Amino acid sequence: MNRINPNGFFSLSCFVNGQKIEREISSSRSLLEFIREDLGLKGTKEGCGEGECGACMVLLDGKTVNSCLMMAVQIDGRELVTIEGIKGKDGGLHPLQKTFMAEGAVQCGFCTPGLIVASEALLRRKPKATLDDIKLELTGNLCRCTGYEKVISAVDKARRSRK
Amino acid sequence: MPKLIVKPSSLKELWKITPALPYKRKYLSGGTDLVNISNAGADDSDCWLDVSALTELWGIKETKSSIFIGAAVKISEIENSVTARRWLPALIAAIPHFASPSLRNMATLGGNAANASPCADGVCALISERASVWLELKGKKRKIPLTGLFLGPKKTALKKDELITGFEIPKWKHTAAYQKLGPRSYFGISKAAVAISADIKAGVAAKVSIALASVGPVIVYAAKTSAFLSGKSLVADVISEAAELVKTEVSPITDTRSEADYRREMCGVLVSRALQGLT
Repeated sequence: MNRINPNGFFSLSCFVNGQKIEREISSSRSLLEFIREDLGLKGTKEGCGEGECGACMVLLDGKTVNSCLMMAVQIDGRELVTIEGIKGKDGGLHPLQKTFMAEGAVQCGFCTPGLIVASEALLRRKPKATLDDIKLELTGNLCRCTGYEKVISAVDKARRSRK
Repeated sequence: MPKLIVKPSSLKELWKITPALPYKRKYLSGGTDLVNISNAGADDSDCWLDVSALTELWGIKETKSSIFIGAAVKISEIENSVTARRWLPALIAAIPHFASPSLRNMATLGGNAANASPCADGVCALISERASVWLELKGKKRKIPLTGLFLGPKKTALKKDELITGFEIPKWKHTAAYQKLGPRSYFGISKAAVAISADIKAGVAAKVSIALASVGPVIVYAAKTSAFLSGKSLVADVISEAAELVKTEVSPITDTRSEADYRREMCGVLVSRALQGLT
């Protein structure tokens, strides 16, 4: 059995944004609480808390997950990437962040980290993603400000710039 | 949230540690339903057993006569499986309608079944594929038809601590369609949905199985409509008759998502669309 002591504490060991993290956590800690409160990474947001909106989206072993619906113990031994870990090659803005700005795909910005995370997962998996692929990938990300056209064109622009 | 989450690494270890755990306990798989229920304050369990490390629940295996999908296999793994794509067309057709891409990276078929929602897209497709479910309790295994697992909304025939270990689907030559009607094209809970699997030779349906979601207390297997269609040419008159017949097999309710009469009517429409897609 994994390292859980009788008080329900768990020795969590994982990689977060490329760094090895080892922490004693309560086994009832949600992944979102772990990211925001224990690690202080505030880019990941809590929107609906029900898996509907995608504001809490992060990459786990390269795949998107909703951190509001996962427990921190579930990432033991795995690799987590939050929005803070998505950067350009020079450590500056990531190409998706640049195209989101250029296309005006950001208004209040609450959904943006989740949208960038989901888009990055898609473009890594499908470098030749079509507009339909982009729309389908983003079905789990809600934006209540800008709508989706500018977001979709920003992802498409980033895809073209990757070539 | 429960105070304790334990993560056994094998079924043997699970059965060994279970008796000493708090009595109010539940299995945690992908968490997309259970954590949600817990976040809403509607879960009173003291302990969760995380089944994700149980290798016995992993993988999609093919034998001479059937396909086995482990209960802890993620929906997105099924989506990308060559075996599933070859043998399980109804399930593959349903997957794009199953929640969102990120939730499909988390959710499992075992969890989809254990949650016993009448709206479960994965279960609806599996029932049309004629799946059975494998269960295990303290090392004792049993297999039952998947339709036999559900007693009502959120109610299953699982005994205390009994675990869903996987799904066995017979290999049979068939094409399939999944039609779902929801508030938007993707990522919504259905007002009504239908899965149809059919073995069609020269326009004649040799064997048909129809399952419907969100139109009864459990996923409905439309036995009469399935039997009516078997052996028939899928011509316009036959499709119309099937669309009428299926309405007598469902028992939808009016709730926040839709109205009973509309749902019943839509069952006919969805069956008709799905059948037209098959011919």
